[in-house]
Amino acid sequence: MADTEGNLVRNVAIGLAVVAVVLGGLAFVASGNDTSAPGWRGRVLPEAETEPDFTLTDTSGDPFNLIEDTTGDLTLLMFGYTNCPDICPISLGTLKAALDDLGADVANRVDMVFVTADPDRDTPERLRTYLDGYSTDFIGLRGTAEQTEQAQDLANVPRAQLEDADADGEYAVGHATQIIAYQNDGVARIVYPFGTRAEDWKIDLPRLLAGEHPSA
Amino acid sequence: MRWWCSAVKQDWDWTPRPYIGVWLLIAGIVALYARMWQKHRVEFETLDDDKHYMRRFAGGVFFLWVASDWPIGTLGGGYLASVHMMQFMLYTFAAAPLLMLGTPEWMARSVLDRLHLRGVWFALSRPLVAVLLSNAFLIATHSPIGVDSLRSSQFGSFAMDMIWLFSGFVLWSPIINPIREAGMTSAPGRIVYLFLAAALVPMIPGGFITFSPSALYSTYELAPRVGLSPLHDQQLAGVIMKLGSIPVVWTAMGVIWFRWYKKDSQRPVHRRAAVQRDPAPAEGSTHALH
Repeated sequence: MADTEGNLVRNVAIGLAVVAVVLGGLAFVASGNDTSAPGWRGRVLPEAETEPDFTLTDTSGDPFNLIEDTTGDLTLLMFGYTNCPDICPISLGTLKAALDDLGADVANRVDMVFVTADPDRDTPERLRTYLDGYSTDFIGLRGTAEQTEQAQDLANVPRAQLEDADADGEYAVGHATQIIAYQNDGVARIVYPFGTRAEDWKIDLPRLLAGEHPSA
Repeated sequence: MRWWCSAVKQDWDWTPRPYIGVWLLIAGIVALYARMWQKHRVEFETLDDDKHYMRRFAGGVFFLWVASDWPIGTLGGGYLASVHMMQFMLYTFAAAPLLMLGTPEWMARSVLDRLHLRGVWFALSRPLVAVLLSNAFLIATHSPIGVDSLRSSQFGSFAMDMIWLFSGFVLWSPIINPIREAGMTSAPGRIVYLFLAAALVPMIPGGFITFSPSALYSTYELAPRVGLSPLHDQQLAGVIMKLGSIPVVWTAMGVIWFRWYKKDSQRPVHRRAAVQRDPAPAEGSTHALH
């Protein structure tokens, strides 16, 4: 009787172990990045937005108009700051990883424009050095506080808020976290919030460059 | 204050962070162990082996604490996949075997009997069950969906760590089972089991993680950076999974082989000695060793 019970427990344990291996394996394979999923990985806007017409100063000190001076087929616009501890480095890093994987054919057709929301601390040199840490092709723009606010208004993102400085005079800046994608017709139909992964970019960028228009 | 390490979207710094759950767990384990020894000594005399058990158990508790608490627990919980993998190694290949080696047979029997788990433990200790189950846990807890869903909350992260510890117990149960008759007895069988269960099978998910062209885990891809890029961090994690167990597993295999060899090589000497002690065979007898 005891042997029968022992065999039963043993057989159940073996059965459970086999099931666990199969389920574990399936979970591993199935939960990898699914590149065949339909739909857009970014957040499709309920209403399309036109590219904002503002002029700021680039890291060389020259005026830079967002509409006239971007030469690629897709303009990605983000407001951030170089002291940002998390959102900016992660967003720029994942985009850079995706562009590297997609190759020069795609990367050369994308203009990534980073507008500092902290012009007091982000000097042109600092901004250039920061962006070069990701890509020398990323464009850095800077303006006065008023120009920066106006640019944010035109891009339809909330204005950045400077938080209280600590004892060392350092402060954080609350800023919009999305990257806005303007296609070559000067219209944004999709934005990429914080949390967009490199795989998401790798799926959407070729489609946007091919002229597909995201629609809600 | 957080009670267990999990993913947080905060910039990393080296300021120590307390985790009350980790301390309570460690204190609870130590208190239970000490209490059982205390009760045991009322009835039985102290043996030399007792100190060995305690030392090994203390080592297991130390590795359990190191793997769970700041900074390794914090970094592995939400910043670096490579440290997450290091945690897995510490739970499975350091804490679990040392805790088992530090558990005397009377204590293991007492705990299992009180929990009515003796039958289950014997079933889990069977090599086929152990290899399948421990590697199923390994795969599930390193799958992107497993990592991203469990690491996002303190409870999930705690569950993952405890699964690793349990998985370590199961993995080692055929080799260093505190209840002798539950484990494997054949030395070659134990060597083959260890090689398959702890060295060969983990190579497969380890290779998958190492050679994946993109970041698999959103937890670590979208974490504030601590030096490494997400892909390099993941590649390092894969290498740790593939190679990290080698020192422990191969040392264990070496010890088993050496003991087996020693035991085996002593056998003819004993036999010869026995023959010499025997009275001289009667004339015409064939009872002799050549």
